[in-house]
Amino acid sequence: MPAFLFVFAQSHSEFRLPELESVAELHGFAISVPPDCDTSRPFMVLNLESEEHVRVLASRCILIKHVYEFYAQGGNYDELHVANKASSHMWSSYVHDTPFKFAVTAYNHKISESRQRNIVESFSYMGFLGKIDMKNPQIILGCFEEYDSATGLREDRDGKFRQVYFGRLVVDGSARALIKMFDVKKRLYYGNTSMESEVSLLMANQALASPSRLIYDPFCGTGSMAYRSPTAYFGAQVFGSDIDGRQMRGKGGKDKPPGVLRAAKQYGVADRIVDLCTFDVTRNPWRCGSLFDAIITDPPYGVRAGAKRLGRKKELSDKKKAANIEHQISARNTQQPYVPPTKPYELSLLAADLVVLARYLLKPNGRLVFFLPTVNEQYEEVDIQSMLCDGMVLVANSLQDFGSWGRRLVTIRKTTHESYPPPSFEEEHPSDHVPAHKDFREQYFRGFKKESEVQ
Amino acid sequence: MVRLITHNLLACHVKGCTSNNFPLEFKDVQLVPHESWGILRYRTKLPRCLDDDFLKTLHHVLLEIHVEEGIMICPNCKHNYPISNGIPNMLLAEHEIG
Repeated sequence: MPAFLFVFAQSHSEFRLPELESVAELHGFAISVPPDCDTSRPFMVLNLESEEHVRVLASRCILIKHVYEFYAQGGNYDELHVANKASSHMWSSYVHDTPFKFAVTAYNHKISESRQRNIVESFSYMGFLGKIDMKNPQIILGCFEEYDSATGLREDRDGKFRQVYFGRLVVDGSARALIKMFDVKKRLYYGNTSMESEVSLLMANQALASPSRLIYDPFCGTGSMAYRSPTAYFGAQVFGSDIDGRQMRGKGGKDKPPGVLRAAKQYGVADRIVDLCTFDVTRNPWRCGSLFDAIITDPPYGVRAGAKRLGRKKELSDKKKAANIEHQISARNTQQPYVPPTKPYELSLLAADLVVLARYLLKPNGRLVFFLPTVNEQYEEVDIQSMLCDGMVLVANSLQDFGSWGRRLVTIRKTTHESYPPPSFEEEHPSDHVPAHKDFREQYFRGFKKESEVQ
Repeated sequence: MVRLITHNLLACHVKGCTSNNFPLEFKDVQLVPHESWGILRYRTKLPRCLDDDFLKTLHHVLLEIHVEEGIMICPNCKHNYPISNGIPNMLLAEHEIG
């Protein structure tokens, strides 16, 4: 199988492989990743069946900047040139009369122009006879130096790279342009918890969003995840629900269409939004399970907005309860719209419930994709593992690091074909494990100190 | 919007209301487009073969017809689910969640 050099965007390193694998799965092929592959590095050499697969990946993966046909790599230029000569069968057909151009760049470093020229000249043994054409080259040959870190003086660092790579450009990543297109600031409608576009695109890829797939967001809020959005843009049909209808409607009153729909229209995807409903997901009206191909959501974790479910913080006394119910029944028809009492929905309970709900609502092989905030110092792998239940398997778990805390994008697949009864959403969970995302809100406002340290 | 496909997926979920709770009955609805009821009436049986015309009609019925304002009523417990601005309010009152 031919080898390709993937050049990734520098951000979201933990998302690189999951994204590649998801897009490959969506298009029905697999990627074999060598076990020693270090995903924190922005260069990756992968074997793929064909250039066609490379083009598919580059058109959909947000984190791919370029893909090169891989010719050689080395710890220094001598090693690189030896390896490159051994690959001459791959480039010899371009020697004769192909207009070409060299691109020499570095990661964590800037190479001076004079050294760039020296590097290009060191490839003179390749004997390219074609015209050097900086504007319209037929092929671009790329040489990349990879430095471990950008600290210290540039002069001291120069040439002390970890690895150097060489290859021919196959395709530039075209999906990165979508990041600008979905920029939150350009949307007609957004809220204070709307998700930045790059991450929502990554989520759409994890959910395998594509035409004819039905996707559900149970905490849709202003709909950044599902609606305006990448998910529908990639062709999926989207349902959304939220306990609070106000965010979906936005300002504008009766005569204006809901805010979410206005934003969807902006991206030409209004007809892919099947519907929006107001309900508490723990008291949901879905009449059966196995409905959706994916559930994709960014549950509120209490810092900017908190999750709520129906109920009261404190139970009323029996007498008050009876009086209250009587009042509700009698007042029901005049007092529209009715706003029932809600209580906070603690994040670790919500996350565990979400997995069980997904098992009920997803079709077999459907995916649950959601963000979970977590305290980095206390996070353990078992936090995620203990959320899973029979028939639900973890596919990917990547961290977006904000320092003391971070968000984990969790992808879970429903592997079972059995149908399960709707979850009961009882408040007790049998697991004894206390995950790092429990009471996240309280931890956040404590500055992630232990309770004892605060006093 | 409440497209008919959505209406077809929603059942009354008041505590204890488990039979005859689907489909919810429409009342006082504003339909978009208005003239669509006719189609609902004359196509009541699935034809043997699904030709293009039928699929187009089905698409029209399930995805293009939608309700902007109105009420959905549970045939069993008579709970009213109001639709306003195209968004159905499926929230339950305190005494209905048990």
